[in-house]
Amino acid sequence: MDLTGEYRIAAPREVVWAALNDAEVLKACIPGCTELVKTSDTTMEAKVALKIGPVKAKFSGAVELQDIEAPQSYTIQGEGNGGVAGFAKGSADVLLTEDGEETILAFSSHAKVGGKLAQIGSRLINSTAKKLANKFFDSFHAQFNDEVPPD
Amino acid sequence: MYPTKYHKPASIADAVAALNGGDEAMLLSGGQTLLATMKQHLAAPSDLVDIRGIAGLSGISANGNELTIGATTTHAEVAGNVDVRRLCPALADLASGIGDTAVRNMGTIGGSIANNDPAADYPAGLLALNATIVTNTREISADDFFEGLFATALDEGEIITAVRVPAPSKAAYAKFAQPASLFALVGVFVADSGSGVRVAVTGAGEDGVFRHAGLEAALTGSMGDASIDAVDISDGNLISDIHGASDYRAHLISVMAKRAVLSL
Repeated sequence: MDLTGEYRIAAPREVVWAALNDAEVLKACIPGCTELVKTSDTTMEAKVALKIGPVKAKFSGAVELQDIEAPQSYTIQGEGNGGVAGFAKGSADVLLTEDGEETILAFSSHAKVGGKLAQIGSRLINSTAKKLANKFFDSFHAQFNDEVPPD
Repeated sequence: MYPTKYHKPASIADAVAALNGGDEAMLLSGGQTLLATMKQHLAAPSDLVDIRGIAGLSGISANGNELTIGATTTHAEVAGNVDVRRLCPALADLASGIGDTAVRNMGTIGGSIANNDPAADYPAGLLALNATIVTNTREISADDFFEGLFATALDEGEIITAVRVPAPSKAAYAKFAQPASLFALVGVFVADSGSGVRVAVTGAGEDGVFRHAGLEAALTGSMGDASIDAVDISDGNLISDIHGASDYRAHLISVMAKRAVLSL
């Protein structure tokens, strides 16, 4: 499934770019992320525990930043294995555009789910992916506005 | 296999204690979603707290124009209850159309709304009927209770004890079921309380059940299927999946709303 969106962030592009590359910020914004450890400048190991309705799945996997054009754009890609639940794989192209003192963040992401989750959850995968992507960018947006991110 | 500790408390206080005592304890009511999920190993609660043995959580009573339905009352009981049939036949009809016979004889109203599946039937009914959800600690209006995809206003350790439904002057539910799952591909519940019309839609919203302001305004103005034709039903924020695209679901909302209105 494909998702796109756009956010206006009240911070200069350099600041937003730094946050997009900060493992602590990413950890705080990835829904259900319990652990995010940098393994190199562009790779990270992540553990994510997701609860969607009755389903609880723990994913562990790798996150990689690709096609980096500082301070303008990159592609963030993640791949996780949820054991018996299946696997999830996704990437997002993130583009930052300067607009005076503010920054416009545009993303377009693509996600795939396989295994048992996809089999029994096909009814809900799209809505769930959209909700998670929105949660990530809402939380990220809130980092710059001292807002409490919505649940 | 994984170990799960089964509790069958006799009181709400014991249930809360068991719920707070486990690492990842979950409430068990009818189990029609949770047990199937556990069998798939997609959930592995450390403790299951079965609330069906708690006295007073099951059963239906009528007080004037208000129904009180205990949290562990099954769909079959709601469907066949004389007070529900008398005060709110649309809710009995809704319950009689949930899932299959096995689901209706095991599944409970409290379990259904606590799960808040975006295609479940009860959330649409309770939202349109302006019901009140009663828990062990407080009362929550349906408007505040349903918070989106599988999300509710319930706190950790909070247990639904009953649902209170004011009798509408008229109401109807129309559902286009997904033939395999029998969940609503789109379900529309129309309720006229006498002082206004509420319309709730399930199965279609990206973020679960929702009230449709356009349909409510049109039907409050004039109750009839002709009013619905004039309402613009946008496909924004509607689900698109292998069962139906968002514009198809938008069209179904209009058709189901008309069917509901025509059967009032």
